[in-house]
Amino acid sequence: MPNGTCFDHRGSLGSTAFGLALLCAIVTAKAEPSQELIAAAKKEGTVTWYTNLIVEQIVRPLGAAFEKKYGIKMAYWRGDGAELNLKLLGEARARRVQGDIYSIGIGVDSLIKAGVTEPYDPVNAKGFPAEYKDPAHHWIASNIYINTPGYNTSLVQKSEAPRTYEALLDPKWKGKMAWKRNDISGAQGFIGNILSSMGEEKGIAYLRRLSEQNIISVNASARAILDQVMAGEYPIALQIFNNHAEISAKKGAPVDWLPMEPVTVSLNIIGLLRGGPSPNAGKLLIEFMLSKEGQQVFRERDYYPADPEVPAKIPDLLPATGGFKGNVMSPAMIANGLDRWTRLYDELFK
Amino acid sequence: MRATNTAMTASVDIASTSGTLAGPLMARASSTTRGQPVALAVGLVVVLLVLVVPPLFVLIQSSLLTQADPDHWSLENFAAILGSRRFLATLWYSVQFSAGSAAFALLLGWSAAWLAERTNTPLRSLAYLTAIMSLGTPFILYVSAWLLFFGKAGPINQLYRELTGHVDVLFNIYSMPGMIVVEGFLWSPFAFLLVGATLRNANPDLEEVARVSGASVWQTVKRVTLRQSLPSIMALAMLVFIRTMEAFEVPALVGMPGRLFVLTTDIYSSMAAKSPPDTGGASALSIIMLLLVLVLLYVYGRLSRNAERFVTVTGKNFRARPFDLGRFRYVATALLAMNFILLIVVPIATLIWISLLPFFQPFSIKALSLLTLDNYRNVLASAYVDLAINTLSMSFGAATVATFITLLAAWVVVRRATGGWLIERLTLIPLIFPGLILGLAVMELFLQIPLPLYGTLFVLIWAFVINYLPYSMRYTTSGLLQIHPELEEAATICGASSLTIMRLILAPLIAPALLAGWLFIFLMSSRVLSLAILLAGPRTQPVSVAMYDLWNNGQGTELAALGLMWSALMTAIAMIFYLVTRRFSGGLLGQA
Repeated sequence: MPNGTCFDHRGSLGSTAFGLALLCAIVTAKAEPSQELIAAAKKEGTVTWYTNLIVEQIVRPLGAAFEKKYGIKMAYWRGDGAELNLKLLGEARARRVQGDIYSIGIGVDSLIKAGVTEPYDPVNAKGFPAEYKDPAHHWIASNIYINTPGYNTSLVQKSEAPRTYEALLDPKWKGKMAWKRNDISGAQGFIGNILSSMGEEKGIAYLRRLSEQNIISVNASARAILDQVMAGEYPIALQIFNNHAEISAKKGAPVDWLPMEPVTVSLNIIGLLRGGPSPNAGKLLIEFMLSKEGQQVFRERDYYPADPEVPAKIPDLLPATGGFKGNVMSPAMIANGLDRWTRLYDELFK
Repeated sequence: MRATNTAMTASVDIASTSGTLAGPLMARASSTTRGQPVALAVGLVVVLLVLVVPPLFVLIQSSLLTQADPDHWSLENFAAILGSRRFLATLWYSVQFSAGSAAFALLLGWSAAWLAERTNTPLRSLAYLTAIMSLGTPFILYVSAWLLFFGKAGPINQLYRELTGHVDVLFNIYSMPGMIVVEGFLWSPFAFLLVGATLRNANPDLEEVARVSGASVWQTVKRVTLRQSLPSIMALAMLVFIRTMEAFEVPALVGMPGRLFVLTTDIYSSMAAKSPPDTGGASALSIIMLLLVLVLLYVYGRLSRNAERFVTVTGKNFRARPFDLGRFRYVATALLAMNFILLIVVPIATLIWISLLPFFQPFSIKALSLLTLDNYRNVLASAYVDLAINTLSMSFGAATVATFITLLAAWVVVRRATGGWLIERLTLIPLIFPGLILGLAVMELFLQIPLPLYGTLFVLIWAFVINYLPYSMRYTTSGLLQIHPELEEAATICGASSLTIMRLILAPLIAPALLAGWLFIFLMSSRVLSLAILLAGPRTQPVSVAMYDLWNNGQGTELAALGLMWSALMTAIAMIFYLVTRRFSGGLLGQA
């Protein structure tokens, strides 16, 4: 918390205290929404978040921290991309918008096109990398995801585990790899990553060879597929979340992940909804989630904060701090490529 | 059933209740009921139209719009499905899967029901426990527990490998038989509850005649009991067949990893891969299903045209004497126990195992050192109480409303009153709605109407009532089909109004069927997800949504803990309700 840190240092550092305090004041001022916004938000009293994030893990903790700080209650509605899309589009069309802000993984382009979102440029995101922000301010990343293969360490020795995409083509992995059929954390994301990092021609050639490996499509979340890998049902899962493997391995599960370069980096984004009942509280909640304090909540819950200044709990898991290459797949890239990746899946892997 | 009620202790006259003479009686009954208030039929038609038409409208509309060109109507979605190279192959797989699952579910459900209701098998009540517990367990948990148990790394295949030294598996659950067995298991409690309620009320006179004439137990069952329950069995088979044609979860979780595609997995999963989801294709598929259902309905209509031949509850006294299975009764107990083990013990034991682990692991001595109660602690520390209250109110409301509407509807249909034909078809239409489409349609409806109901529990109840109308109708119809109109005629002559007849005669008599139907809807609505998710508001989330959340995030071990506690609660509620109502209706029926 920047406020607390500044205060402590002022007491102990004597003559430099004033300078530091000034610096802190500037930083804090930059990182704090205006008093007018806070007052207006408090007057509204509640805020509603339409979210794709996991309730128990991150939505409730963020809501609790927000309420503690501002005394504003948070309600939520939770659904996956498809339901979230249908619900937001339906409510906007009927002009009965119930939510103030949204968060989503993929599919934001159709929301923007339908006028569901409202531009807002949060002061707390000034230091975020450009690719984490929509130039038109309809969305901004709250946290990021890393997708890469994981494997069962009792079924596959660490030394023989495939380290490169080329190694996945080894006949010994035939019928031994599983993935989710859709999503960035599944076949679509894998195909998109290959095409954008290898280039069209090489990428397609690679995917053709990979299709001979009989990859098993499982209709479950990447996390649930990783669970099956840990239980020994499949030796390798492609495109899982590497922090999931890390968390389970810490508990003693026979699982590890592979930094297969480039890993897929994708964004979870948040933004303001047009015509919501409490727009000011919505803006304040966005500011809070992107503040150091909010980003810390993501960090504590084993999510990767989008703010480069809030390091992940285990820095080795991220490309920048872990020393491996990542390929950032922006919402625009996904929106442009999704249909094609789906067709390629149907053609080669179905 | 020991009917000592004076109203029902008329003389026992076997001939007058036998199949051959029921026809003329029925004709007489129709002429009297035709005078029954047409207002009821009109009212029902209006209610059903309001419930069923808006979703149907949304379905047809969206089947005619494509994502690429949402402003013009076209048949492109249909062309895409019917023109797909794989259509015939996947259709064939679908038919195999549905027919197999329906047959398997009915075989399990009917045998268990017959043993429980009509024989002297020891421990018969085990069958009821099996059905209720199984309906109370969340679906995703159920399937994943079986997969973990019967899967490649499960204890059975593990044991096989250790005993034989093979590296392969004894059986592969990711196969057509695997899919059929899992889906059949899931539907067997439904079949059991429905068949059980019918068998309990079945008139044993014909069986008695058969036995007196020297028929063996098997002959009696084959020639009399099975034929008597044929209309309900056929109707039930049709229902399960249609539902499994549309089933997505089992084909997705069990079939897809084995590269077995049925229509739904082939089509729905491609649609879900688009953003926004392509509801047009799913709707077109549903319309194709609707046409198929219409054909099946026609067949069913012809089959049940003679349903009155099977009227079994009349004003005559009857007493169902259980079949004496002799020494075979222990074999029968073993069968019921086997059913209990496969449907309850195996998944529950697997879930208990998972719920005590920090992460998924197959059974092994080594893993014993990992056991922990953390998952239970986490669940108890979370805010599930509000969700539980939401869920219980929603399920209670949906079950009660659906049972009430379909009791009236079934009465009009069974008594061949004016409008019966239309009413029956209207109650069956919801069979074809996939959960997401019905959710979407109901959402649109409440968004458009100017009443402040959107986002309330009322909307969820509304959707669940629509979704479960066909099932509820099945329960009430098969209950009423057995009741001979002479009781109502007697009451009418004594000056009773239709409502009085309904309340004092029909409802108590078919209480077992009503109860079975109510329980089914109550338990199903509390665990079904696809429908609830779109309709829940920010302040009306049900537990199933939270469960789906946990599953998706791979908190499978925590989900197992929550799921077990939730199933225990649901089973307890269902059992209490069952016992109380059974005693209550038993009292009305003069049962001991």
